[in-house]
Amino acid sequence: MTKTDKTDLDDAGLELFFNAAREEDTAPSDGLMARILADAAAQADAREVAAVPQTPRPAPRLGLFGVIAAAIGGWPALASMATATVAGVWIGFATPDTLEDLAGGVLIPASSASQGYALEDLVPSYGEFAGLYEEG
Amino acid sequence: MDMAFDAHSDVSDEALLVAYGNGDREAAAMLTMRLTPRVLGFAARMLGGDRAEAEDVAQEAMLRLWKIAPDWRQGEAKVSTWLYRVTSNLCTDRLRKRRTVDIDSISEPADEAPGAVAGLIQADRARALKTAMSGLPERQRQAVSLRHLEGLANPEIAQVLEISVEAVESLIARGKRALAAALADQREELGYDED
Repeated sequence: MTKTDKTDLDDAGLELFFNAAREEDTAPSDGLMARILADAAAQADAREVAAVPQTPRPAPRLGLFGVIAAAIGGWPALASMATATVAGVWIGFATPDTLEDLAGGVLIPASSASQGYALEDLVPSYGEFAGLYEEG
Repeated sequence: MDMAFDAHSDVSDEALLVAYGNGDREAAAMLTMRLTPRVLGFAARMLGGDRAEAEDVAQEAMLRLWKIAPDWRQGEAKVSTWLYRVTSNLCTDRLRKRRTVDIDSISEPADEAPGAVAGLIQADRARALKTAMSGLPERQRQAVSLRHLEGLANPEIAQVLEISVEAVESLIARGKRALAAALADQREELGYDED
């Protein structure tokens, strides 16, 4: 760096000014420090809230039915049971002919003996029972 | 054994920042103590001494630091370098908005030194430098300030300003030449010759 004008300050001269400016650095106000610390706390708080997984709604208290359902294995199992129950009732009501159809066919053949259900049909064992009764 | 407050001084800024990112609020307090004076001082010099605005910038810069803490990638940049860069950019934004409004409010007329009292001379020198610096182009002012007032080395300044080291050196050289010329007139009043 060449000095062309000798009245210009050289590096040492400039350094005096820099020193003076550095020494004059005023400390941050208490207010500023407090605001910055408050920001830090607020950011940390916000992050902590966001990190907590959403608590699921507490499960409704199980009644007796719920306990049984849970014991069996939950609602899917119950659904299967319901289906089995309905099937059982249907099978109970079905005529022997219909049962054959259920087993392998689709439609009740027109030649089926029953056009409606007689009691004997609904309760297949009734015939025997009735027989016992009549004989009794 | 109780650790003295400054026994933590050997903990790096980066370690404190990572700790804060994990929820350690005391680490944030330490960072605040360490970094706020530098950020505030740099902002004040860039903004021509408007204290309130410098405080706003300082608070905004520190807020950005708090936000980035959990994502801070270690070993890449110094925390102070990152902060200086953020502060520098915030100041640039404010100066840009200010430019068309009141340029004159930045440069005060240089006061005549009232006397040879050493303390007053120092204060006057500081004020004279502030005046002279505010007359510099922004980039030169940034470079000179970071080098001679914040004490950063040229490579770090290059990171702050996102330019090459050569560009930093050029800015500083030009800035100092301009300052030297501006301040030369005030040497006598400011007691330069009395040192």
